[in-house]
Amino acid sequence: MGRNILQNKNLDLGIEERSAVSTGFISDRDILKKRSKKYLDLIAQLDHKTLTETKGMGELMKVIQEEFGTAELACLPLGIVAKCFLGHPYEVHILDLSCSQIIKHYKTNELMEPDFEKARTVAKHNAYALVEVYKDKLILIREDGTATKL
Amino acid sequence: MSQRIISYADLSIINSALRSIQSDMSGVNSELGTLNFKQDQLETELEKLAFSFADFVEADLKHKSLQLAETRQGNLKQDLQIRFGYYAEVRRMATGILQGVDSGVVGDDTLKFTTEEVMIKAPGYWLAPALVAIAAWIRNDRSTNEKALNEALKRDDYKTTLFFMLIMRRLGRNEAALKWLERYFMHQNPHHLDREFIIILEAVTTGVFPPSARQLMITNVKNWLDQLTQGDTFLNEQKMQWIRFFGAMGPLSNGKFPLLEKYSSNWNLLEQSLRAARTHHILDLHFKSIIAASADFSKSTKVQLDEILSLLVTNFDDEELPLQEQVRFNQLVIQMDGDKKAAQAIIDTERHIFNEQVDFLQLLTNASFNPELSGVTKVTQALAISISQPWLVEAYNIFTAQSRNNIPQTIELDIDNFKATTHNGSDENELIQKQETFYQHVLETELAKLAFPYAAVIIAVLICLGGIWAFTLSPVAGILGLGMGVVFIWNAVNTHKKAKKAIADNIEERKQKAKEVLRGCIAEAVDYRKEHTTEDNKAELVLQLLTSITPEDFSSVSKDTVRNII
Repeated sequence: MGRNILQNKNLDLGIEERSAVSTGFISDRDILKKRSKKYLDLIAQLDHKTLTETKGMGELMKVIQEEFGTAELACLPLGIVAKCFLGHPYEVHILDLSCSQIIKHYKTNELMEPDFEKARTVAKHNAYALVEVYKDKLILIREDGTATKL
Repeated sequence: MSQRIISYADLSIINSALRSIQSDMSGVNSELGTLNFKQDQLETELEKLAFSFADFVEADLKHKSLQLAETRQGNLKQDLQIRFGYYAEVRRMATGILQGVDSGVVGDDTLKFTTEEVMIKAPGYWLAPALVAIAAWIRNDRSTNEKALNEALKRDDYKTTLFFMLIMRRLGRNEAALKWLERYFMHQNPHHLDREFIIILEAVTTGVFPPSARQLMITNVKNWLDQLTQGDTFLNEQKMQWIRFFGAMGPLSNGKFPLLEKYSSNWNLLEQSLRAARTHHILDLHFKSIIAASADFSKSTKVQLDEILSLLVTNFDDEELPLQEQVRFNQLVIQMDGDKKAAQAIIDTERHIFNEQVDFLQLLTNASFNPELSGVTKVTQALAISISQPWLVEAYNIFTAQSRNNIPQTIELDIDNFKATTHNGSDENELIQKQETFYQHVLETELAKLAFPYAAVIIAVLICLGGIWAFTLSPVAGILGLGMGVVFIWNAVNTHKKAKKAIADNIEERKQKAKEVLRGCIAEAVDYRKEHTTEDNKAELVLQLLTSITPEDFSSVSKDTVRNII
């Protein structure tokens, strides 16, 4: 039988799996999730449905709250900008979610509030169904509901 | 009284003395001039000497460090020979044994004897017990094999694992290779992967390893991806790199819009935007070419695996590295004729290349961007792209959104100080109307600047009046004066008319030219928007392509392998 001369410890042949280094919080994942069809359809209807009635507005807000259900108040968009299909001279319209909760259509050369104005160029682009305006970012939503952060 | 005395005193002696001093002084002056000249000469000589001395010192230093490097290199080599000489022998033997095993011409006893001798001669080197293990395995000596294997693993777990994994694969012992592969994966940290990992990955995907290895890899890669994509940091880093990559792919300007280039004040923005839009087409071709490359690269992968094996066997061991590095440094010093700084610079870059360790996502990105530089084939590039696909699509979406957000809404024109904006050139008539008004205005202001020559006319009228008065003196003088006055008046008015006409002509000419330029610019604006929209729409095609990337496209060998990884 062989004797151990130089080694008196039992050799452990298993390798410890290296611990995972987690980078912590998840932020973009939630905000970039696919938007529901219901939400997209509703925003698309802003043009041809009169929402001045209380019922219409209430329903709209309900759907939006469902869409952003779990998000905290600070994570909600300031508003939504989308291309307006009312025809010339209207170009874009907004749904202000911050306090006034109004829908407003803007003409071609009419300036919007600065927060919304920065979303104008992309909102006009045909590839995007709508643009959610946040304090520090824009989220572009395609027709199929996929989101891109800008 | 005193003045008188001085005036009477004889000053001639003093005068002559002064004169002689003066001449002496001029003598001194000229001497000084010569001295100065000589001193300047001396200074330049001295400077020359100093320079050549500095050169000499430098050359001497270089020479000395060259000599020193030569001596040191000799010493270090000797040192290496004494301390690790057997390592080199083991390495030579390892290659020999592997070849011998392949051809089966070496007897078991010889193998046993030589490997065991090596074991004694090279203490601490992992390759020695590994060779003993192989020899024991060949002659079916299980207990020695296990003991030797334990020892090898204890000495260098990672290298032993890689060594046996590669050997088992070469010998086609699938189960053993799989076990070793499992162990190899356990060694890898997705945050710091070794350079050869991508080759192993490629080998597994292209089916060089047994099929069950794929399942193993899938599980591991999935775990890593979960680990690395937990937070945003790693992913965002990759996304940023991709976006930069997309941006850099943009084509150069092709001078298609010469008038806009010259007359549009926001041409830079317009050009940038068009460049970004044109990028989509290039990216489309780029990704298509990668996906289309579906040749069977498994042969080259096998060669690469063997290369890793031979590198593993022939490369220096970690223990030797400090000494080997010093030898290399001295070698470089000799090569650089004793220039230590240059040698240090070379060794720094070399070290950087070899110490490169990256996280798994970075490894994928490197392989996707530049397969040649990462030392992988197009198959691996496609594989890397298909694994990176989720965040690649996100990055592409961001790139597209950014470029769309930066599309200038107006084309600003500045033609001969006439400033106008147009969106897409559809308002041609209005613009031309505006330009007309602009030149009307210019004409008015220019004409207003041209004052009527009142002074000349008044003088001429006065001459006329003088002429009328002169009638009382002499009718001839009267007629003469009156005539002169009338001629003066006519002349002044005529000159004024000519000047007016010249201005009007000049502005009319400017207007005609500007009108042509404006029409040209508008035509280009229409083309610009048209081309921009066409190019921009290609983004949707690229997006479709990227979303549709499935790993089936990139490997003829493994149709359904990596699909499951994602």
